Amino acid sequence: MIQPAERPSWGDVWQVVMAVAVARLKLMSRYPGALFVDIVMPIAIAAIPILMGRSLTGPGGISAFEQNAGTTNYVAYMLIGSSIFMIVTNSLWEFGFWMRREQQTGTLEALYLTPPSRFWLLLGVSIYGTLRNLLSFAISFSLGCLVFRVNPFQGDILLALGFLLLGLVPVYGISLLYGALVLRLKEANALIQLAQWLVSLLMGMYFPITVFPPFLRAVALLFPPTWMTNGARAALLGVGWFFETWYADLAVLGVFAVVLPVLGYRVFRLIERGAQRGEGIGSF
Amino acid sequence: MLSQTLDSFGAMLRKNLLIMLRYPVNFISSFAQVLIIILIMLFASLSFIPGGVQNALLSQVGRTFSSVAIYGLILFLFVSDTLWSVGYNIRWEQYEGTLESLYLTPANRFLHLVSRLFFPIVWTGLNATASLAFMRFIFGPLPLANPGLALLTLALTLAGVFGFGFCFAAYTLIVKESAQTVANMLQFALMAVCAMFFPFAVLPALVRAVSYAVPLSYGVDLFRSALMGFPPGYPELLPVSTELIIVTLWGLLMPTLGFLVYRWAETYVRTNGSLAEF
Repeated sequence: MIQPAERPSWGDVWQVVMAVAVARLKLMSRYPGALFVDIVMPIAIAAIPILMGRSLTGPGGISAFEQNAGTTNYVAYMLIGSSIFMIVTNSLWEFGFWMRREQQTGTLEALYLTPPSRFWLLLGVSIYGTLRNLLSFAISFSLGCLVFRVNPFQGDILLALGFLLLGLVPVYGISLLYGALVLRLKEANALIQLAQWLVSLLMGMYFPITVFPPFLRAVALLFPPTWMTNGARAALLGVGWFFETWYADLAVLGVFAVVLPVLGYRVFRLIERGAQRGEGIGSF
Repeated sequence: MLSQTLDSFGAMLRKNLLIMLRYPVNFISSFAQVLIIILIMLFASLSFIPGGVQNALLSQVGRTFSSVAIYGLILFLFVSDTLWSVGYNIRWEQYEGTLESLYLTPANRFLHLVSRLFFPIVWTGLNATASLAFMRFIFGPLPLANPGLALLTLALTLAGVFGFGFCFAAYTLIVKESAQTVANMLQFALMAVCAMFFPFAVLPALVRAVSYAVPLSYGVDLFRSALMGFPPGYPELLPVSTELIIVTLWGLLMPTLGFLVYRWAETYVRTNGSLAEF
């Protein structure tokens, strides 16, 4: 008689999650150049608008920026924007890239045949992503502060970190949607490149979303990284909250953090089942 | 002999066109990307200008800045495409496992490299035209003085970048996957060092010293200064005649150097047997 499979204990589940995270960390350690890019890229990305700002900050330039953004410190403003952009963009494609890589190396089907739920595998991937992103953020932001002579110890650092960490949850929710897209379309690099620029536009990497026309502003407000970026800037530079108080903005991000992962996982499962019934998940 | 060469070049172009047409999303995506980049630059600059677009057009700072940024963007589109196109295509052949087969054919390998660039450059040209039209729609007419000199500068600059692209393709053959990381870095480094979206004057002294050592900077400077009709302070790096000499040398010598470097790398990977490794 066939015995029903035992429900895995929490210890087993934790082992699975950590095994995935450690495997990814080992892979990352084989590509130190990629980590180097993660660290240097936000500084390079921030340098462009800072230099553009310099060429435009004639008489009235700084006051115009203050009027629009709520701070005269445009250097720190750009650096925070570009550093958060790197975290967001890395996290957004985390699941999609993982799935694509497993497809290309031919290990995705093997992973699907293992007993643990996909949820724990994805959790392992997200733990790896969060560790990597926070590490590169810390190094890159500190280095950027040194290069651009910005005081990193200004404002409420803990609150900014709170916005950053809570904001990552809905970002991973959206990442699940992208993972589903990869399962469906396979090669989606062109869409990623496009989406990357769209993300930087909507989240206000270089500017406050108040400069947007009303429709675009409304779209930007539906995008969690916009709240994440503004939250971190408001906590560090005092640029002002969307809803007057920090806890109201954090609450909005909290709602995103509940809704988007659930929605993302449901869509992911739906597409995944479709792929399993159709062409199979390993084909690429 | 010539007809055979032309035939094989035609076959290479047809094959590349066929592959490009099989990925229509790439076309749409690259076009939309340019428009989004323009919007990002526009919004970023608007937050520094009191009164928004209208004031930007009225003030001299705003007008000069918009010309510098727009013409810089056009050059950036070509440079970023050219820089990575050849290396990326070689990488793709490695992934598909067709690089070795291609090397077994008697076709000219220089033509093979050039054929890889043809359609991306045509497509970037169309993108650049659309961007100019878009910017004209937002900012009104842009200065368009000295089109002949600007076109000559563009052609020579791109020829030099082709050569640099060949060097990069050689680098791709040797380092494989890491080349993409370096390409990303290089793109941003060139954007800053060659002051593509802002005047050289705003660069810190140390970075500006590096700009003087990079020939592409003179291409950028001369191209936009010519189109802007050499306003006071432009070109920013050196006198026009000196910049033209540097750009000419870059355009003529770099393709030859690039090809020689590529040939060296090719011999190297064939000798150690890593041509198709990835």
